[in-house]
Amino acid sequence: MNEQEIIDITNKVFEESFEIEKERLKPEAHIFTDLGLDSLDIVDLVAELQKSFGVSIRNEEKVRDIRTLQDVYGFISAIKKDNE
Amino acid sequence: MRRVVITGLGVISPFGAGVGSLVNGLESGRSAVCYMDEWAGYCGMNSHVAAPSELKDEKKIPRQQRRSMGRMSIFAAQAAEQAVADAGIDLSGMRSDRMGCIIGSTTGSAISISRAFETMLFKKDLSLLPASMFFQCMSHTAVINVAQYLGLTGYVMATSAACASALQAVGAGYDLIRSDRQDILLCGGAEELHPSVTGSFDVVFATSTKYNRTPDKTPRPFDRDRDGLVCGEGSGILVLEEYEHAVNRNARIYAEITGYGTNGSGAHISQSDSGSIIQCIKETLGNAGTDPDEIDYINAHATGTEQGDREEAAAIREIFGPSVPVSSLKGYIGHTLGASGAIELIASLMMMKKNMVYPTLNLDEVSPDCEGVGHVKRPLGKEVKTLLKNCFAFGGINAALVCKKLIS
Repeated sequence: MNEQEIIDITNKVFEESFEIEKERLKPEAHIFTDLGLDSLDIVDLVAELQKSFGVSIRNEEKVRDIRTLQDVYGFISAIKKDNE
Repeated sequence: MRRVVITGLGVISPFGAGVGSLVNGLESGRSAVCYMDEWAGYCGMNSHVAAPSELKDEKKIPRQQRRSMGRMSIFAAQAAEQAVADAGIDLSGMRSDRMGCIIGSTTGSAISISRAFETMLFKKDLSLLPASMFFQCMSHTAVINVAQYLGLTGYVMATSAACASALQAVGAGYDLIRSDRQDILLCGGAEELHPSVTGSFDVVFATSTKYNRTPDKTPRPFDRDRDGLVCGEGSGILVLEEYEHAVNRNARIYAEITGYGTNGSGAHISQSDSGSIIQCIKETLGNAGTDPDEIDYINAHATGTEQGDREEAAAIREIFGPSVPVSSLKGYIGHTLGASGAIELIASLMMMKKNMVYPTLNLDEVSPDCEGVGHVKRPLGKEVKTLLKNCFAFGGINAALVCKKLIS
């Protein structure tokens, strides 16, 4: 899976599960302050990412460090590389 | 004791969104009951009819407030919003700890509960459950979602008394305002259709099963050929307000609530009992200081079950005789269960406003065991100054409410 595929799939999760318009999905967007997610949403974000990428991340400590969309892309990319 | 009036109405019913749609449906004399294709797929389910409400415009509710709402909570939020607007309440200037809501339902969202257990029992993976799922499943899901959506900070309570839930919510609201604990309360109920809901009545042979191919002919309250109830869904919300509070802001007043009573039969878990219904109605009339001959209209609970209709008719016959007009609205919109007390009370208030009593749909020939009551079989022009609303529920619960038109 290349970087663009990770971005596309992640953005689709934000569009479909959190009803955020495509134009707002910029890498630097802060997922709490810019995109309006809260702590409950993060639980659902993790579940949707697990489903979309076929990975297990629910107990990953690094999930707590995620702030921006770019952080999500990087986090998934690292997990996928670790799994390869 | 303070006086309590009704100043706002909101409804999502099988006839559509809004009080106007409900009234239009009743006036047209049509049935909203239809055949439920997919229900035939459940082994042991004999009733394949229901009165669904349309879920629409739900995306007008912001996602973060909608995510914890199952179907019934969306209905409740939309009905509550209508009621607040109808009452002319500007929430931004009126929210306080003296304004809250009491909304009942039979259970939490039946669809969400079913989905949660399908995930838990078959997939055995809790991580697949959305974070907001539990908030849709809780017994008080409708009231918490309405309170959060509208930002209400007074009393937030749920009544859970199956088919008497909404009337108990209105009764509890009446008591809280009367006793100076609250000034304004949004009260009512909500319910949603699901095979498990109809199934809970089906297994005890309380549903209608002979009219699956002619759904508009059932349910048939008080009729000789009635064969059981038909489930419906939706929400009804009423704004209850302390009288002086309403007058001071020049609110439109639909009616004053003058009496409420509720009791248990202590007799049977599923069967109605005329003795305890009589006691409940007499207590309610006593609380209202109203004699039976002062009641102009009785909106019956009558769901179309053989036993329930017979017991209610016996109670009405005993207290009122044949002179007071009686009708049930279940033939139009089915039995909306935990919402029925509120939706049907709203319809009754509109009858009061229009001086028109809507008849019992599908009552073609009064059953011998339901005779001796003032059945309304066709639209009846009549001034309704005082009305009685009945609701009864599984568990032997009875509830009744008296409303009086305010004569200025």
